[in-house]
Amino acid sequence: MIRDVDVAVIGGGSAGLAAAVMASRQGARVMLLERQGFLGGMGTASLVHTFCGLYLLSSAPDAEMANPGFPSEMAGRMIAATGLGPIRMGRLDVLPQHPADFVRIADELVKAESSLTVQWHTEVVGVRKNEGRWEIDWSCRGSLGKTLSTVIVDASGDAVTAPWIGAAHEVAPRLQRPAYVFGIQGVRSFPDERRLQLAGMLVEGIRAGVLSKAALGLSFRPSGRPGELFGTLDLAGEESGSIYDPLDPVGLSALEAEGRRVASGVVACLREMDPEWRAAFVSQWPARAGIRESRRWVGRVCLTGAQIEAGSRFEDEIALATWPMELRENTRGPKWRFPVEDRPTGIPLDCLRIPDHDDFFVAGRCISVDHEAQASIRVMGTCFSTGQAAGLAAAMKAGGGEPTASSMRRIAGS
Amino acid sequence: MSEKVDGITVIGWLRSEEILMLEEGFSVQDDLFLAGLDSMAVMQLVVAAEERFGVQLQAVDLTKENLGTAESLAALIDEHRA
Repeated sequence: MIRDVDVAVIGGGSAGLAAAVMASRQGARVMLLERQGFLGGMGTASLVHTFCGLYLLSSAPDAEMANPGFPSEMAGRMIAATGLGPIRMGRLDVLPQHPADFVRIADELVKAESSLTVQWHTEVVGVRKNEGRWEIDWSCRGSLGKTLSTVIVDASGDAVTAPWIGAAHEVAPRLQRPAYVFGIQGVRSFPDERRLQLAGMLVEGIRAGVLSKAALGLSFRPSGRPGELFGTLDLAGEESGSIYDPLDPVGLSALEAEGRRVASGVVACLREMDPEWRAAFVSQWPARAGIRESRRWVGRVCLTGAQIEAGSRFEDEIALATWPMELRENTRGPKWRFPVEDRPTGIPLDCLRIPDHDDFFVAGRCISVDHEAQASIRVMGTCFSTGQAAGLAAAMKAGGGEPTASSMRRIAGS
Repeated sequence: MSEKVDGITVIGWLRSEEILMLEEGFSVQDDLFLAGLDSMAVMQLVVAAEERFGVQLQAVDLTKENLGTAESLAALIDEHRA
């Protein structure tokens, strides 16, 4: 089975979804390849339930969208689905999102595009250039197939294609730690002031030897649906004794097992300790742990943490990064670095381009930035923006044009 | 029993343990929750308090009133050392 398209998008998370939809809207024939049976990535498979990076950093009372086009459209659809608007968390505005709604919204978005084909259950296993076109090998449950495309967008989150095409990439020595998010139901009530006592109960459980110290990385948040909570557990990824490596199947397997073990233990412990939790149960496991950082592209330019801190702006910027650098290099909560005067930072188009290949764009958390800047641009709100830009650029390139940041900003804003 | 724990000591301790990044000039009566104290930071705090001050804070101790400021937190720790 060989399919021939203008643009192939690898990975259907927030960036890949945005890229595929926006490229299709420009008239390109697009194929989106996704390993799960649904789209949304971190926001669905890993149950991350807030859109961060959608809004400008500001002390103004009303949250203001940072980027026009797909991010705004997505925010509008999510608000319509959940009935919840942006909420202020400290100095930051975030939009609560529900993974079940995200899956359905993504379905509707892709179904509306007649030139877009989504292929689920598809793992890309190789990419090469042949006579000026890209050949993408994929596997679906033992069936091997091939897609030919004029342009590729890698929105895989892990820059999976970089080693195959011999492109420069890197992995930071000390990566951001992963988050393990799970669903809980049956909690009778979860008033805000109860959080502190629950935290105390978990420490008592650790003192008593019932819970492992990993439970210290846990926090709870209501999902917005009646009776449902999400638990978010920051893991070190080194629980199995090995060094954290999100590209190694042995380490990843240990991570998944550890996430489930700690989460089960915590819920069982709280069932005993808190009458409100007597009937609580884990109602949903993520399809996979939430990987914050892994392999990154080394592109034509590299956006740095110093530039985010300064709020640098660029001629060829295609989106604004507004989330402060949220460093999670250990499991003891985030360490924040805010830009001066709450300034947004421009993301240059060349962070989405790689040397030697004009017909290849990258989007999402693995674009060309350094480790510190990645702690800002990795969030879903920003991934919608870089995905949108990569999709527009890919469609222009496939149509024989030369993508420019100004024309992309014009289309996104219209 | 060792010396009384005061708010200044608590601020220095919260900083050095990296439980909270408190700005220069943060006072013993400023709101710790506004400064970012959440349930996860509270867990770190309880564990760290046991190591540093030898006190075992219990779930019932963890109220907004007790944890609200460096001053009230110092009083709570002091009470447990007595």
